[in-house]
Parts: sequence; structure tokens; C-alpha cells
Amino acid sequence: MQQMPNRSAAMTQRPVDLRPYLNNVGVTTIADTGSGHFNVWRNSFAAEDLPDAGDRTVVEAITFQLPDLGSPEPDNVRCDRQYIPVPSGYYDWLYVLGAAERRVEDLVGLHFADGTVDFEPLRLTDFWAAPPAFGETLAFQTLMHYPQHVQFGVPARMWCQRVPVVRRARLTGLRLPANTAAHVFAATLVGGLSAESDGVGAEEEI
Amino acid sequence: MNIRIAESPNHRVDPVQARRAPRRWYRDPLGCLHLTIATVLAERGVEPLDPLGAGWGFQYLPDHVRAEEFYYPSAECDLGPALAPHHPLGAVWSATPDGEDPLSTFIDTIAAGGLVIAAVDKHHLPFRPAYHDVHAAHLVVVYGVDRARGLVWVSDSQPPAFSGAVRVEDFLAAHASANPADEQDAFFSDSTIARRYLTVELAEPFPELDESGLAAALRANVAGFLATGDEKTWTGLSGVRRYVDSLVDASSAGEQTPLRQAYTFGWSMQATAYLHSELLRLRGVQWQRPSLREAARSVQAVATAWTPVRVTAAHGWPDPRAGADALSRHGTRLVSRYEEALDAVAALGES
Repeated sequence: MQQMPNRSAAMTQRPVDLRPYLNNVGVTTIADTGSGHFNVWRNSFAAEDLPDAGDRTVVEAITFQLPDLGSPEPDNVRCDRQYIPVPSGYYDWLYVLGAAERRVEDLVGLHFADGTVDFEPLRLTDFWAAPPAFGETLAFQTLMHYPQHVQFGVPARMWCQRVPVVRRARLTGLRLPANTAAHVFAATLVGGLSAESDGVGAEEEI
Repeated sequence: MNIRIAESPNHRVDPVQARRAPRRWYRDPLGCLHLTIATVLAERGVEPLDPLGAGWGFQYLPDHVRAEEFYYPSAECDLGPALAPHHPLGAVWSATPDGEDPLSTFIDTIAAGGLVIAAVDKHHLPFRPAYHDVHAAHLVVVYGVDRARGLVWVSDSQPPAFSGAVRVEDFLAAHASANPADEQDAFFSDSTIARRYLTVELAEPFPELDESGLAAALRANVAGFLATGDEKTWTGLSGVRRYVDSLVDASSAGEQTPLRQAYTFGWSMQATAYLHSELLRLRGVQWQRPSLREAARSVQAVATAWTPVRVTAAHGWPDPRAGADALSRHGTRLVSRYEEALDAVAALGES
């Protein structure tokens, strides 16, 4: 039987550094709505209704590190099989702030230190004026930006969703699904056990 | 699409309005075809999920897809047998001939207590985000006409939801639009609106859907999935596989049109699966049948498996070859989801 690490009463939270993987502009300012491309219609979230650049954001008692929002630079990860090293440790949940273009169900590969991989479901509801379809909580709601105007009555919604980390083993990396409809703005690993972090990015893989 | 040409109007009286604005019926996975028909059904006192969700199948007609949000794969002018194969429901396409007043027929229908579903180009409707920006074929429910004041009452449950009057000239521009090709919308433009409208026809009294009725519908649905189609109609599981193969082949060959059409056609099949899953889920709750709810979840997975096929095609159509591998992967998963869901539904009949 595997020796378990010392338990800590405190819940561990470790943001995942998504900055190297940002590849989509999903948030725009009212002055530049045309730069958004969250979906095929080039809609986007309104930066004015979201946290300021650099802020850490707490949703559902989980602390997330959002990227800069509202610049013309990419601000979210459109899922394309990116492999993302994470702070090595024992976790229970992967929390994400994300949304989808239509409803999405796909799998995230959870890579553990001993080489095992578990695929767990990532389910995200449409960002375009939809109620939560998969039990998510609403993280943010903004006006809907169109390329040429700002639209009332069509809320853009960003969801707080979670992915279970079932295996009691040291997590080292994530493989996002190959699903262009799924977008992740921020991710935080949460564990009831001490994460015993080895530091960020113990391994790299393309 | 076959169109029934409306007969010449006789004597018209207006203004005419429904007694109230229709209660808008909205579910985010659905397009305007199902949403408008559901709105009309609800106004008639029919639970929309019963007729629209009891049938579940797959049908693809090669060279038939039109660039319209309300496209549905049926060669008949009456969509009822395709949309609600287990219920006495008609949804009949008609078109007002050139030189005739399209509002006259609408007035007659509304005066008789009915509602009309009118095809429109969003470009001309001020409440739509596409107003004076993007051309796109859409449907709205018409529930009033006042020619003296120049108003037409329309209901649209799709966000930003709207119920109210628009200027008659705006409505007629939308209803008669050529809906020209628009580079901002490769999926629902370049398809003339041509003053088409849908009329929903129901048998009276409309039958209730009970457990035996649903069981019979499920057996028929399963039989439909196991039957083979022909060259003109790709149906059932074999049709799903054939469609996915053809889409991947077209993508590999650099053909753009099949990818553009995948977004449009895929919505019709995604909506069909969603409606069926919702009916099974809610009846599973009502009748306390866990297996029905589990089958519902399997069918729901079919609906969501359409998302990456549609979205990959939508983003990838300008460079089809680049998306071929992804479409193959998503298509393979879609086929698997159909197979799993069909097994789950078929098992209901065995339990």
C-alpha cells in the first residue's frame, strides 16, 4: 500500500500557470470589441465587467489567478491538447474558470508522478446566454460584445467548474482535451492534503 | 425544400392580435425551428417536449442542406413527420407568391386563433443583434398585425428575447429578404427568405404521452436506427457513420462547403438528441424510472458530442485539410456516443 503523506487540516490551493498556453482572445473592452474571437461569431466577454488585470479572484472560496483581461493579447486557453505541468502534489479537485462555445463534455488527462494517467470529465456550459447545464456555478456575467457593438440582453457567462482528482497520487501535469469549443481562463488545484509542492513545472512536454 | 403556395387572399380584417403575447419557450441547445414550434405548441396547451422529444433518429440528405438556422433534413413541405414522428403534428412550409400581400394570410390565421411562424432575415429586425450588420435566416412567431398603424407583433425567444411590435416595413423587408451571402455568417446567409412561413397543425384533442406510448416510440426509434437508408437518405446508425466518413473525406480533400454545412446540419441533429434526452429525463423523474434517466444521460452525450464536430467545422471551413484529423477524432466519438445511447435506449425495451 502506498504511504500517504502527512495530512494538513488546511485546504491547499495552487493556481496553475496558464500564461504559456494562452491562445485565444475571449475578453475585450468596449473600445475594441472587434478584437474578440471567443466563438465563431467573434463574440467576447466584456472586460469592464470582469476583475482588473493582475487581480487574484475568489470564486466559491477558491482563489484563481486570471490573466490580463481586455488587452488585444490572448487571455484564455482554447483547448488543443496542451500539456501543462502543475505544482507537483496531492490534490482532490481541479477547479477551472471557463466556458464553452455550445455545451462541451470532454476529458482532461491527469498525469501522476508514477506515470499513471486518469482521464476525468471536463464539462462546460455555453457562454452565450445559457443556464448552467453541468452543475457549474456562475463565476462572472458580463455584457455580450459583438464585433461592431455591445449587446444588451445576451449575457456572456463564465463558469466555475471542477474536475475530480480521484487517484491518491502525486499529480504532475494536465493534458487538456482536443476540443476547440472549450475555453479555460484560469485553473486552481485544490487538495485537502498537504500538496508538498516540488515547485512549478517539474516536467515539460509538447 | 417543397413549398406550399398560399391561395389568394379574399377579404381581410385587421388589426388582429392574439389575446396575449406567446410565452417564450427557450432552451439554449435549440435553434429557431424547434423554439418557434415549441412556442406555438405551448400556446395550444401542448407540452412541447412530448411531440418534439418522442422521436429520435438520424437523417441526412446529401446536397439538401440550406444555409438557414431553421434547416431540417426533410424533403417534404410538412416537417411534422420528421420533427414529431409519433404525434399528429404538422409543420407545413408555405410561401406567399410574388405580388400578393403576405400579411393577409397571417391575419386570417391569427383571427382564427392561430399563430404563424415567419421566416425572416435578422438583418432587418431592430431587436436582433444582427440588425443592420449581418444577414442570417431566422424564424419568429407572428401574433398580431395592424396595417393601419404599420405594425407587426412578433415573438422571438432567442436572446435577446423579444415580444412586441416592429414596423411593418421592417418586418416585410426581413420576410422578403434575399438574405444575401454575408462573410460574417457563412452558415445562415446566402439563402433567400422568399416570404416563407410555417403553419403548425395539431390534431384535436392532442394525445397525451403515457408510458406505453413512449415505450412504443422508443421501439420505433431503435428500429429506425437499425434500418439502412439509401443513396438519397442516409438514416440510422449507418447514416451517422456514413455522414461522418463523408465529412472527414471532404475535409481531407479540401472541400469547404461540407464543413460549412456541418455547422448548420449538425444543429438539427444536436437539437433532436437534446429534445429526446430532455423528454426521457423529465419522464424518468415523473415516472420514477431511474433507467429512463440513465438513458437520457446517454442521449444527452450524443447532443454534446455534436458540439466539437460543429464547432471544429465552423472554425475550420476556410482551411478544411487542417481540420481533418480533429473532425475524424470528434466524428469517431460521435459515432460511439450514438452507439452507446442506442444500446441504453434499446435496453429500456428489454427491462
